[in-house]
Amino acid sequence: MIPTLLGVIMITFILFNVVGGSPAAMTLGKHVTPLALEEFDEVRGRNKPLFVGNWTSTRAYGNFDFATTIGSWKSVDGADSLSGEDSGGLILRKDALYPVPFAFPPRANAAYRWKIRYRLKEGPAELMWRDASTAESRSIALEPSSDWRTEYIRFETGEHPGNLEMKFELSGSDLEISRLELTRKTAHFFDSQLMFYLAQLCPLGIRDTEAGGRVLYWKGVDLGTSSNTNQRVSRMLKDGILPSLSLTIPIFAIGLVLSVSLSLVCAFFRNRLIDRLLVVGSVVLMSVNYIIWIVAMQYWLGFKLSWFPVWGYESPYYLALPILIGVVSGLGGSVRFYRTVMLDEMYKDYVRTAFAKGVSRPVVLFKHVLKNAMIPILTSCVIAIAFLYTGSLLLESFFGIPGLGYIGINAINSSDIDVIRAVVLIGALIYMAANLLTDIFYALVDPRVRLG
Amino acid sequence: MSTQMDNVSAESRSLWGDAWRRLRKNRLALWCLVVVVIYTVTAFYGEVQYRYYQFKDEQPSYQRPDLDSQYLAPSLTRVLKGEDRAGRSVVKELLRHPCGTDGLGRDVLARLVQGTRIAFLVGIVTSIIAIPIGVILGCLAGYFGGKVDDFIVWLYTTMASIPGLLFILAIAMVVGQGLLGVYLGIGLTTWVGLCRLIRGEVIKHKSSTYVTAARALGLGHARIIFRHILPNVFHIVIVTFTIRFPQAISTEVFLSFLGIGVQGEPSWGIMISNSRLRLWQGVWWEMTFVTIAIFLVVLAFNLLGDALRDALDPRLREAG
Repeated sequence: MIPTLLGVIMITFILFNVVGGSPAAMTLGKHVTPLALEEFDEVRGRNKPLFVGNWTSTRAYGNFDFATTIGSWKSVDGADSLSGEDSGGLILRKDALYPVPFAFPPRANAAYRWKIRYRLKEGPAELMWRDASTAESRSIALEPSSDWRTEYIRFETGEHPGNLEMKFELSGSDLEISRLELTRKTAHFFDSQLMFYLAQLCPLGIRDTEAGGRVLYWKGVDLGTSSNTNQRVSRMLKDGILPSLSLTIPIFAIGLVLSVSLSLVCAFFRNRLIDRLLVVGSVVLMSVNYIIWIVAMQYWLGFKLSWFPVWGYESPYYLALPILIGVVSGLGGSVRFYRTVMLDEMYKDYVRTAFAKGVSRPVVLFKHVLKNAMIPILTSCVIAIAFLYTGSLLLESFFGIPGLGYIGINAINSSDIDVIRAVVLIGALIYMAANLLTDIFYALVDPRVRLG
Repeated sequence: MSTQMDNVSAESRSLWGDAWRRLRKNRLALWCLVVVVIYTVTAFYGEVQYRYYQFKDEQPSYQRPDLDSQYLAPSLTRVLKGEDRAGRSVVKELLRHPCGTDGLGRDVLARLVQGTRIAFLVGIVTSIIAIPIGVILGCLAGYFGGKVDDFIVWLYTTMASIPGLLFILAIAMVVGQGLLGVYLGIGLTTWVGLCRLIRGEVIKHKSSTYVTAARALGLGHARIIFRHILPNVFHIVIVTFTIRFPQAISTEVFLSFLGIGVQGEPSWGIMISNSRLRLWQGVWWEMTFVTIAIFLVVLAFNLLGDALRDALDPRLREAG
């Protein structure tokens, strides 16, 4: 149970954080300031390293690939792109000052680091920064070097990073830069996306008390924020669970009763016409695509015949058609499955004995076979529960029922990562909980099975 | 794969021969086989057509809008345009748009053929992804047991506990729109059932005498697994392939319907999604023919899968 839970968490993390692209760019679009992207990521912990790391990328300075463009340096007077054999670089001419073109001011009280790959043939160069509010100035010298060399330059921002001025001061020779990247120091080595995700999911948090100590407190599970509606995901799920259950529970219950009774009919009339018809009928039902069921029934029963409302969630009657579709579309597969289960039991010794003793067919079926067939039926119920959770995806969005499926489909259409991740996670949790319940039921129903 | 199958049929002709004899007695299954073959040929024809237009670098005929022939109802014969409408010298052309045309005047039948191509592509490629994963992991888990088994069981339990369709949707969304997302989504999530079955069978075979004999002869693990045990459990792979094929097709229809799957090509899902709204305006044929096309192939595969299961291994029935 616990390893599976961890596995599910890891899979959702790998799927949405490692493999998936940046949700900020996906939701906000291309024509948006780097600051807005950074703020979007900050809320979701996306501006941290994936697993562990001391340094993380930042959008405060766009890390341009000088091979293709010198990016925001174009707006700096005198900055030029390298030409000749070393083309694909930035050149800053000697005896001048060049302000660093930040996209937005770095954050306050943080440590940043430049990674600079440069060439400086003669005299020295200096990178200096000055806090305009305190007039405090610091600088670091770049050593002359005729070959490309890489240097890391670390600097700290003050209280008011808006006042930070950072300039390259050059004397003696031109500074050629082939690569210039800015990274920000993380709070600590484990300050990563993975830890952020785990901390979100862990219902316990650590808080500093006024007295100076630290206490453990209950903060609840944080499933993130929808990038589409800006709502808390947990809030959306809470609102969606009731409509979903009002749809799936009737489908599940009616479907179960109906398919078990039909399979009993099959077992009762085994290999007779009615059994054959039911078997063929269930394969046919199974082969009709789920979408076709929805589209056709909505068209015929809802639109043409006007027996049912077509769209909405206003009264229980609005649920009738989706429930009908859900039951009918699932019926084929489950009748076939339960029939196999029943027939397997029918070949057992105890059934033959019962028949030999002269017990009537109905009594054998309902008293002996059904009881023993409960175990595989229970197992399949678990699978059915998981299936219902996903099966309602389409039904809900087709009939405008504001449940989890509706939310899920909307989220997928708008690439709302946090919502999808939460829906996947909750789905897995439901499945695992159902699995656990079945195990417990097993022990209750079947005396041969003992827990633990 | 094929060499292994050849080996099996060479060494133990009776098993596969028996299965074929049992299958042949089943008339319905033979008809299903015929349907599957027809669909396969159609899909192949669609592929050739697609390659041809790609090679010629022009817009395929099934994509080219023809606004003169919008919403033509299905009909076997059709009056050619520009003919005398007074009733004299009317030239009829046979089988022009026999299944009608859609809102842009494109031939529904030609688009169905392309839909078949994509459905089969998805069925085959996802099988190529899922079946090796399931078989190899199942064999390793069943044969080695212990830590390896624990890990693989943990892996598939984890995969199984994520709701299938949602998982596929999420993968397809992360990978991006297009067929690749569909392949990976379906392929990477549907190996669990096969893996479970193979693992169970391999555990049974592991303790049988022929494996003990092979081990006594000093054969390597890989050889025992893949040359000796695998041929004996290979019928599971065939049955699984037949059963998962229609499921993959249905899932592709679902994904394309939602707009996550195929882009800019006439897949069945896209055809359903296009014709859904036209249905309300009385354009019934596109939806009807897509429904029939999907229904027939899924039904044929379902029935064939059952028949194969009965023919190859009746015990598998329980595994559902």
